[in-house]
Amino acid sequence: MAAPTPDPSRHEEFVSLYVRHEPAVFSFVLAMVQNTADAEDVVQRASMTMWRCFDQFQPGTNFRNWAFQVAKNTALNHLTKMSRDRHVFSEKLINLLAEQAEARAGYLDSRRRALDSCLEKLPAADHEMVAGCYAEGATIRSFAEQAGETANKIYKRLNRVRSQLQTCIEHQLGLEEEAAR
Amino acid sequence: MIDVELHDWIEKSLNESATEEESLALEERLLGDAKARDHYLNAVNLHASLRRRFSAEAEMAFVTPFPTLARRKLGIGLAIAASLALLVGVSSILLKPSSPTAVITHVVGAYGDTGLAYSAGELVEPGHLVVSRGLMRLDFSSGARVTIEGPAQLEVINEKRVVLHRGVVTATIPESAIGFVVDTADAHVVDLGTSFGVSISEEGFTDVCVFDGEVEVSSQETNRADAAPRLLREGQAIRAGVDSNSIDSVAYETVRFENAWPVNSGVLQTTGSMRFVSPGPDFHPGNYADNEHIVVFPERSGFIPDEAIRVDMVDPGQYAKSRYQEKPTLLPEQRLTSYLLQLNAYPAGKNPNQRRSVRGQITFSSPIVGVIMANRLLKESEAVFGIPDVDYPGARMIEARPEGDQRPGFDTVILAADRRTLIIELQENPGHIDQFRVLVEAE
Repeated sequence: MAAPTPDPSRHEEFVSLYVRHEPAVFSFVLAMVQNTADAEDVVQRASMTMWRCFDQFQPGTNFRNWAFQVAKNTALNHLTKMSRDRHVFSEKLINLLAEQAEARAGYLDSRRRALDSCLEKLPAADHEMVAGCYAEGATIRSFAEQAGETANKIYKRLNRVRSQLQTCIEHQLGLEEEAAR
Repeated sequence: MIDVELHDWIEKSLNESATEEESLALEERLLGDAKARDHYLNAVNLHASLRRRFSAEAEMAFVTPFPTLARRKLGIGLAIAASLALLVGVSSILLKPSSPTAVITHVVGAYGDTGLAYSAGELVEPGHLVVSRGLMRLDFSSGARVTIEGPAQLEVINEKRVVLHRGVVTATIPESAIGFVVDTADAHVVDLGTSFGVSISEEGFTDVCVFDGEVEVSSQETNRADAAPRLLREGQAIRAGVDSNSIDSVAYETVRFENAWPVNSGVLQTTGSMRFVSPGPDFHPGNYADNEHIVVFPERSGFIPDEAIRVDMVDPGQYAKSRYQEKPTLLPEQRLTSYLLQLNAYPAGKNPNQRRSVRGQITFSSPIVGVIMANRLLKESEAVFGIPDVDYPGARMIEARPEGDQRPGFDTVILAADRRTLIIELQENPGHIDQFRVLVEAE
């Protein structure tokens, strides 16, 4: 083997750290590559690199920042390849996004947590639509077809529901801040 | 200030419906506006969270060995951990996404060293692969197909070379992968277009058995005087490592490969009194005496017939007799692989007329497209799918139960809803031979 394989006994430690931060990594990668399927692919490859290089990670330091660094490099490689076929974000913007995503990671985590109770408050039909559009392999188009609606109508409804969820999340976080006072 | 325009660009980006211009405009805006980036990151974060939350169902497939309750409780975290452990287990250094070294194509209860199940579709990159139990098949980008039976440890070097440290592998090597190498501590096995098995015995010896074609075996100790490679042909076997890197001819014994070999040949599992024929040149219908089992013989594989083939069954359900004219036909458009299933009961023991029923189940790796039972159809299809030079018997008899008949003693063949599994119960009829043919989609 060209590179040392990490100590297998650290596998559990790695998995536990990775699972905790995977949602943040996925969100960050999606912001860079702007496409869900590509993001899944990049995250998968990045996770392999993280394990391979896990020996270089210092226990006690911030795993998320380290994971973001690996994910950013993986995403940049991916974008270089994609840039032949479509417009992709420049490295300059990626660096700005990385900086900001790192700084706001804790805040984004709390937004993710607030989402759960906001989803519960959605009317059943909206909840069903969100679940349908975000199911594995589903697209807005495929859900629209299934629901017997036009894709355009679903686009609009989905955009509206996402806005509602954002408002609810902000409200939720505001309430939490107040409660903490 | 978050304006309608920015909001619109972001929504389009999330829906993956932005045009080139809109994408450029979004980038322009994000580059110059930190507030806009904040807004963008929030929007993407929601989008990503929803994706993770509602795509969880599919991820769960990784956790199937866990009971439902545990799955619910542990949820997505475990699912990700499981899929990740898989990833980590099967991958190591090369991260070239273009062509993976190999893909796990079939899994029969195969688990890694962390106790997590392997899953068909996982990519395998060079590195160590541990199979603590069960069977799984790797299809290499070179075309080689290798089935591993656990407990085993295999090191994948590249698409044409593996090192077996422990366990059993069987390999099927097409022309494209001639030169495929299996190394062990004691032997260097080079394929010359063939199928063969390699296993490491408990004592640490290397056994090599050639089922078909030729392989070249040499000792790992290359400075020995007798280190010249030995050519091994079908039906031959060697053992290496008994006495300081010697290579000894041994009797052709295939028992160790009888679990892994069927998976190479497109049969994932046989249960009950069903067994896949031993691998090797001499085991073909008419030359295989087995009074106890329904034996499965592979016939022609990956073959497009010249003419339409009449069959007895195409849809899931139980086989029932039908008229010749009513039988469905398969058009000559699809690559098919054929298997012959046989129960040959010959008089044995004190009571030669005793009739038993023999039951079994077989699952193929590809969908079954037709089952042929009637004697006339067997004969017709033999001309297409039969193995040349094999004597197929004149009359064969699968006797389906007539509708409403309650008497015992009929044969039952059921094609299960998964279209891959046959459930079979045949009545022994001493002196008679039961045979039928199964056509599956070629891999």
